[in-house]
Amino acid sequence: MSRKIVRIPRINDERDDFETLFSIWDQTNDYFEDVRFDFSACDFLRPNAVAFLGGLTRLIESRMGNVEFDWDSLRDKRVMANIRQNGFAGFFGYPTSTWTGNSIPYREDKTRDVGGIMDYLEQHWLGRGWVRVSRRLRDAIAGHMWEIYNNAFEHSGSEIGFFSCGQHFPGTYGTEESLVLSVIDFGQGIPAKIRNFFRQYADEEQVVKLTGASCLRWAFQAGNSTKVGEPAGSGLDLLRDFVRLNQGKLEIYSNDGYAIVDKDGDRYENRELAFEGTVVHITLRCNEKLYRFRDEAE
Amino acid sequence: MKLFIRERIGPRCIIKEDGQKIYDAIYGALRSGEMVTLDFEGVNQFASPFFNFAIGQLLKDIAEADLRRLLQIEHLNETGRLTVERVMENAAKYYGDKDYRKILDDILEQQSKESD
Repeated sequence: MSRKIVRIPRINDERDDFETLFSIWDQTNDYFEDVRFDFSACDFLRPNAVAFLGGLTRLIESRMGNVEFDWDSLRDKRVMANIRQNGFAGFFGYPTSTWTGNSIPYREDKTRDVGGIMDYLEQHWLGRGWVRVSRRLRDAIAGHMWEIYNNAFEHSGSEIGFFSCGQHFPGTYGTEESLVLSVIDFGQGIPAKIRNFFRQYADEEQVVKLTGASCLRWAFQAGNSTKVGEPAGSGLDLLRDFVRLNQGKLEIYSNDGYAIVDKDGDRYENRELAFEGTVVHITLRCNEKLYRFRDEAE
Repeated sequence: MKLFIRERIGPRCIIKEDGQKIYDAIYGALRSGEMVTLDFEGVNQFASPFFNFAIGQLLKDIAEADLRRLLQIEHLNETGRLTVERVMENAAKYYGDKDYRKILDDILEQQSKESD
């Protein structure tokens, strides 16, 4: 069978860039699909794209397909340096070693490795001296980020696990220093899970009317959970409060829904191409004044 | 009864399995009206799955007012306090009666208003 060539363009982390990633997923979403990723048009690849392409590769492999990374086609030296640095190139066959810089390693988790994930957050994401905050604030941030991983593990039902990558942006030329983390799974997705939950209580005719935006809005409301028999439903709620306090940005793409929490509040929208999975993309500002506890001196 | 959480769980209280251990240790005492103290000295990381299981699920069988009277919490930092308070508020809602058919109707009504 011939190998499908998928061209990877420049991918940033705006809405259109995520839609580009979902379109790539859509092109490779069959069983027994052999794919070659061609990077000849790629001159920029953000960590969300790195995590997504890594997860997509594992998804294709789980469907008896084969993925080849055409490393010779990647001629942009900055992109190559970045994906060597964060370990992605090494994961997928390019002979290289990682080194420390502004990148945060690409990571795959098939099972819930609590110690490994917390070490990743503390040592690679927060612990490199670029977020200058107190120890207890560092602990608070790590705890909030754990909520993202825990949600992926508890709710996604992803058989291939979940994938993450991040980056530290130093804040040059007037931009503010920030930390970015993307956590991606290829599980059932939040709207699909919520629709399944309501099927226990309501007719199919009603349930299918639920839009992706409405499902995500419901998921963010305090106390709402699809878990049966155990209290849950505080994770997203707490994370949203934390992002608001930090004046950061939290975005979730899941199935046909999109949610964003930022300085302007919460918005929920419908998307056209329903992606089977969930992307959580978070941006935190590295400004210690934003993180003060109530009992810390001004 | 007093439990030192750091000794039983360690410095991270973030997963539901650890929360379940605390629940199992204190449930009987609280049900029989005994005072229980949880001491979080030396614990520095918190997340909702731990408190959902350690404390949130107590509200299934114990009224919130009784739980607040019987359960004392010491040396819990601000992040932990915010998390446990949110978990208790949400657990109280969770264990309240919910008519999911009505909830779905309300969501669809809101959806319909937004599309007008």
